[in-house]
Amino acid sequence: MNADFTLLIPEFILAGAGFLVLLVDLLLPREQEHRRNAFTSATAVLGLAVTGVVAATTQMNTGESFHDGLLFIDRYSLLFKVLFVGIGIAVVVMSVDYVAEKMSHPGEYYALIIFAVLGATLMAESGELLTAFISIELLSFSLYVLVGLSRGDARTAEASTKYILLGAISTAIMLYGISQLFGVMGTTRFTEMGGLLAAAGDWDMTLISGFVMVLAGLGFKLSMAPFHMWAPDVYEGAPTPITALIATLSKAAAIALLLRFLAEVGSGAVHEWRMPLAVLAAATMVIGSLSALPQTNIKRLLAYSSIAQIGFVLVGIVPNTVIGANAVLLHVIGYAFTNLAAFTVVIIIELKLGKETIADFAGLSKRAPVLAMIMTGALFSLAGLPIFAGFLTKFYLFTSAVDKSLEWLVVVAVATSVISLYYYIRIVREMYITETEDESKLPVPALLGLLAWVLFAGTIAVGIYPAPFVDATNAAVTVLTPWVAL
Amino acid sequence: MGLILFYILGGLTLVAALGVVTTRNIVYGALFLLVAMSGVAGLFVLLFAEFLALVQLLIYGGAIIIVILFALMLTRTTDFSVATEHRRWPMAAVISLALFGLLAGAAIGDSGDYNTYQRSGISIEELGKGLFENWAVPFEIASIVLLVALIGAIVIGRSGEEEGGEGDQG
Repeated sequence: MNADFTLLIPEFILAGAGFLVLLVDLLLPREQEHRRNAFTSATAVLGLAVTGVVAATTQMNTGESFHDGLLFIDRYSLLFKVLFVGIGIAVVVMSVDYVAEKMSHPGEYYALIIFAVLGATLMAESGELLTAFISIELLSFSLYVLVGLSRGDARTAEASTKYILLGAISTAIMLYGISQLFGVMGTTRFTEMGGLLAAAGDWDMTLISGFVMVLAGLGFKLSMAPFHMWAPDVYEGAPTPITALIATLSKAAAIALLLRFLAEVGSGAVHEWRMPLAVLAAATMVIGSLSALPQTNIKRLLAYSSIAQIGFVLVGIVPNTVIGANAVLLHVIGYAFTNLAAFTVVIIIELKLGKETIADFAGLSKRAPVLAMIMTGALFSLAGLPIFAGFLTKFYLFTSAVDKSLEWLVVVAVATSVISLYYYIRIVREMYITETEDESKLPVPALLGLLAWVLFAGTIAVGIYPAPFVDATNAAVTVLTPWVAL
Repeated sequence: MGLILFYILGGLTLVAALGVVTTRNIVYGALFLLVAMSGVAGLFVLLFAEFLALVQLLIYGGAIIIVILFALMLTRTTDFSVATEHRRWPMAAVISLALFGLLAGAAIGDSGDYNTYQRSGISIEELGKGLFENWAVPFEIASIVLLVALIGAIVIGRSGEEEGGEGDQG
């Protein structure tokens, strides 16, 4: 049994950074809100950055299983670790002005973001159901608190109550499913479960219900239909940087776990789950795209759009191939850049105008041309138009499904992409064509403006020069051995 | 003997659990829950899981029920009048019964496939070794989860206080 704790150094640094942020907050005088905000956010960014650098420099060639497969420290988890740390830094940076204006408790706020990143990292590493479960809980608990943190209006209270209650129920369902799987198989380690399943003949009811419940629990975190109902309300009510965190970090972590779980456990029994998952993928895309049409609040619209995006991701998981997995990872990276860029613009608008309806974007091309351009780029990327990340990654996703003759699923995916183009274009039209009376320039805060530029550059980089990203995802998927062997 | 005890404890647990969902008075609900939890602890004893039974009684039967009762005492009951007037209970009942039927059917139908062990007691020493050696990682993660929950409880509780203290007349 390998219990070499030096493998977990990045995780220890991350946890330590969380405590350090709390300590810095404690040491500074309470009255100096502004200084506390600046110092704690700087500490958080530093801690996240050090974690990312240490992981990327020391674990490039590691392929170890820790404690007989409780955790896997390999290229796959490294890719996600770096991605999550990046998301964490972006969210902390986009929070600085927001926290100063709208929230108290900066120390706790940034520390919880770090703990959320830690939970997500452990999810991507877990190779065992109980470890995965407790990691999901770490991520979820941090998010529950973060959603409820802002100085409350009724929407925030509703969002946080809904999130906690539904999250607790989905957790209970998942835990029950895990207990059933353990009852039948006598193990919760992915690799051992995979071996048992491949050898098993027909599935009995306990096995099926156990899997359905575990996938339902994960589906809730992913906001996969029919477990998506919470997403719009929570997205709307949460502080906007936390909405961005939920849309990127928690989704990417759930995908990381789902992908490893299905590859290691389900690969030998793909005929059992391919069709149900394909139908859910189609339902998720259709529901997400159609419900986005009548939305007037930009955060609700992005919530439905993120539901549809999860449907696209599932299109790459259903084929059960390493090509599909590759496309999924690439899409997750591109989607993180794109969504964070869009949310950065939304935050700037919200801070300057105090609202976040689509009508508030009217005339933005005159008031802040750069912001309008970045928002347009992000929306086009979400819709899947060329030169942006979304086009390339969606193309890979759809090809991987065609390879396994799932043409009908691709037809649904393309159709919903076209529908989604309509509601993304609506915002673009608002920004460029609708006339407004107020044409005064909007001042763009330096830090947020810079962040928007960086994320926008990332969106385009994935779209036109994907080589370095593809190298990383290629190396990552080699650890999904059952799929590589196919 | 074991079988008779099983039916007594199982029946007690079931009746108490039904009481939790059917009673209109939320305090009675909490007390019914206590009985159900104790019944489950008894079932654990029958399975030679003494440690689990002890934990079940201490944590669920003791701590959790007391926290629920405290929460009920400290919040004004009028806030919850809406919660008991749910008109959609027939739908909830149908869905719950269907799920129960499905899971019970699965458990009974597939009982032959379950891993069966020779039931015997596990010493607390072995449990401790398992928890702190083989399962040290999830155990450590759980401690951070608790820390996050603690931070959350304090921060959210305190922010209500700063905004004029409407909610804490207890």
